[in-house]
Amino acid sequence: MFYLVLAISSGIIGGLLVAAIPKDKNRMRKYIVLIFSALGAFFCWRVAAFVFSGESVELSIELGSLNLYIKPDPLGAVFGLIASTLWLFTSVYSFGYMAGKHKQRTFYAFFLLSLGMTVGVAFSGNLLALYLFYEMLTFSTYPLVIHERGPDAMKAGAKYIIYNLSGAGAILIAIIETYSLAGKLDFTGGPILAGLSAGGLNWLLALFIVGFGVKAAIMPLHRWLPAAMVAPTPVSALLHAVAVVNSGVFGVLRVIYSVFGHELAGQLRISAVLPWIAAFTILAGIIIAARKDILKQRLAYQTVSHLSYSLLGAFILQEWGLAGAVMHMICYSTLKITLFFCAGIISELAGETRISKMKGVGPSLPVTMSMFFAAVLGMIGMLPLNTFWSKYYLMKGSVAAGNWILALVFIASGIINAACFIPIVVNAFSGEKVRPQSERGARAVLMLAPIVILVVFAIIIGLYPGIVWPGVEAVVNCYF
Amino acid sequence: MMSSAAANMPVLVVIAPLFTAFVLTTLARRIRLVEGLVVFTGILVLIGSGFLAADVFNKETALIYQIGGWPAPWGIELKAGSVGVFFLLVASFVSVPVSLFSVNNLSDEVGGKERTARFYVLYLLLCGAMYGMAVTNDLFNVFVLVEVATLSCCGLVSSRNRPRAAEAAFTYLILATLGSTLILGGIGFIYIITGHLNMGFVHDELNRIWQSEPHVVWTSFSFMLVGFGVKSALFPLHVWLPDAHSTAPSPASAILSGIAVKGYLICLLKILYNVFGYTLMRAFAINTILVLAGSIAIIAGAVLALMQTELKRRLAFSTVSQIGYIIMGIGIMNTKGLSGTLFYLAGHAVAKAVLFLAAGAMISASGRKKISELAGIGRKMPVTMAAFTVGSLGLTGIPLFSGFVGKWYLILGSLESGSFFPAVVIIAGSILCAAYLFSVVRVAYFEPAPDENWKDPGLAQKIALIVLASAVLVLGILPDPFLELAGRAAEELLALK
Repeated sequence: MFYLVLAISSGIIGGLLVAAIPKDKNRMRKYIVLIFSALGAFFCWRVAAFVFSGESVELSIELGSLNLYIKPDPLGAVFGLIASTLWLFTSVYSFGYMAGKHKQRTFYAFFLLSLGMTVGVAFSGNLLALYLFYEMLTFSTYPLVIHERGPDAMKAGAKYIIYNLSGAGAILIAIIETYSLAGKLDFTGGPILAGLSAGGLNWLLALFIVGFGVKAAIMPLHRWLPAAMVAPTPVSALLHAVAVVNSGVFGVLRVIYSVFGHELAGQLRISAVLPWIAAFTILAGIIIAARKDILKQRLAYQTVSHLSYSLLGAFILQEWGLAGAVMHMICYSTLKITLFFCAGIISELAGETRISKMKGVGPSLPVTMSMFFAAVLGMIGMLPLNTFWSKYYLMKGSVAAGNWILALVFIASGIINAACFIPIVVNAFSGEKVRPQSERGARAVLMLAPIVILVVFAIIIGLYPGIVWPGVEAVVNCYF
Repeated sequence: MMSSAAANMPVLVVIAPLFTAFVLTTLARRIRLVEGLVVFTGILVLIGSGFLAADVFNKETALIYQIGGWPAPWGIELKAGSVGVFFLLVASFVSVPVSLFSVNNLSDEVGGKERTARFYVLYLLLCGAMYGMAVTNDLFNVFVLVEVATLSCCGLVSSRNRPRAAEAAFTYLILATLGSTLILGGIGFIYIITGHLNMGFVHDELNRIWQSEPHVVWTSFSFMLVGFGVKSALFPLHVWLPDAHSTAPSPASAILSGIAVKGYLICLLKILYNVFGYTLMRAFAINTILVLAGSIAIIAGAVLALMQTELKRRLAFSTVSQIGYIIMGIGIMNTKGLSGTLFYLAGHAVAKAVLFLAAGAMISASGRKKISELAGIGRKMPVTMAAFTVGSLGLTGIPLFSGFVGKWYLILGSLESGSFFPAVVIIAGSILCAAYLFSVVRVAYFEPAPDENWKDPGLAQKIALIVLASAVLVLGILPDPFLELAGRAAEELLALK
């Protein structure tokens, strides 16, 4: 319980501390950010260790007849680990990226605050706690979206808030309806709605999916995500490729497996439609991505597409599908963050944001571009990288559910991914070397180190998927 | 001695502010003393209503007080039931920090000591009328209190020495008089067919004979709805409110938006449930009308609020929208919905009071009224803006703040009554509410501040803001006792069939 409070509050306390120290104490602020993100990750690992060893850690705060219940289960622990571990990497990266940029105090304060909220989402033990942290996550990331303060940023911020608050509104209605149907909101003790007859629950599931689908960027609820790319790259990388969007995916997983349960969900008519919506998003997302010239935009639409990999895995209501979904959350996150980090380096050190202008960037940024290439291979689903396994499980799940067309969707998406991203790398290394070598200095090292480590991680997991498998297995055993 | 004080409490809480109001008129020069007396009376009434609430809560029956010792059909009855003490508690609580806020702060806004003293006289008369509305059990008394409240509101609106204030007060006077007339007419119709004015007697008689006089009952219903609708600014009868609430001095806006409109709503609630009763409301489909009217008010008020560029006008339109929630909740005729409404009423009272006070502090410190001109004020006036933010969160209904609990029960009640529509409207209203309040917060915190010397207000004002802001939090984090009381009140309202 002690660790639980610390895991959630280290981000929040860190954020408040950053806000409290004077503006010009840059070094001190960096130490605080580093220490508190490390603490957050450390405590999340401690909590996860308890959860996976079967010990129960919980915390309940009474709010009248309702209560805020915080109790991580394997799914929550996995999500908490992904988020808090990648946070640490992003902190280091942003020391390099943000150097010399404006409004650093605001940036780091809300950056840490969002860590606390994401861990809260992960560890919440009932729908009310989940809703609270989910809503707070929206508010604490808003200042990061509008960081640039220009008219574009303000517009993106307004879009971000409107989409996410509307989603949260749908979720709130659904939660209250769940409460009035089942009389409880806790995830423990089997699915909340288990035992109810399926009649009339279609719209409830739809409401939940629409609500969480906003953050998970299901089409057509995805429009806020490309707009939010005006934020600084660390934010795009961590929040809008990993933490925030995955909390949407996490919410969908929660709804299907902890609120409805796969048996009840299987009886609903709507669950026959959901996989196809996800499949559509996978293909449409990556096709739109291919038409974008700004690298961050292309990556954003790729995010839209890849988030639906996990959703599709969840929607087929099959154990391999769930395994694939969880595995993809882990694997995709490590590589997607790498892609964004690379995009950030390209724009900072080489000054290019447009793909068409990136000819010849490779020789001046050799490490960056090779790491970018590795991550691209991962996104396609090639073997030495971890995403091969998640894709494999997802396809296995689709076939096991008797729907081989869905498996073809993954193949098709992989091919389009290749067509979409490999030319960038080829182009970057071809042509004249026009720019000087620019991966030098402390700033470049701070940005490159996290990338290299992440890619090494991804390859290690790809070669020995057994490292992460116990976590995935624990999640699947929870629900099947 | 104690027991006789306890038995007389329902009348004492009403008498105290009225009495002090008349004393104040003789002390106009000694403004310090006047302010002290006002705050002191407020605290006394708060303590008194605390005792009264505890008493009613423990005994689980309403406390009935017969004025002059005359029993009901002949004399006037005061009845401190759960609904009454709930509102009494809210109103007396909010009035203390609001009066504290005006200490040493008013004479700039209203101009001169004499006028300040007059302001306090009206303020206390209004409070007395509100407390009276909470406990009265007599229809004609309702009318009298409504008139007292209306006239003192009118005085408060015009207490600033500006042409705009006079205009706003005049509009208010005209429309409010129309409302009073309709209310009086409604009461008259009921009196004609029942021969009673005591709520309990009217209820029994009305339920016996209503089928023979459906048109009279229908007319009376509609007179009451429109009459109280004007008074409590139900859209589209709200036209007076934005001018009145935004031109009044800030403490007056806070009390007008926070408490005064709610007093009329409590009267409406009591008349609908205690006089007409559940059966008649169902028979005449009043609940559907209320839900519809409330829904329209929620959305229309919020959209209008979003269109305002002046801070206080935006808050005033926000009141129009929030009133919609309460009206809608009155129409959700089950325990959850009604307790949600009452809780929401309490939550809005504290949140709106803190918003208006904070807005007033910002406007008087900076001299600027428009939201866009208040850029960066959050860093110059941290306490004020923090209170404003808490109030915004409370009104929007974020978990851990007051509005959330109220909205939760409202939605629960509406889903329980089998209707999905109110839930959607409530959520849509909340999103709009976030849009119009958080944009103020955004401007105040995230836009560059001009080089001006804006400062937080004095100590008394800070205390008032902090007390109200913490009340928003307490209602959100520890809602239990209040919810219990609101639940009792809802059961009490639904017990009469």
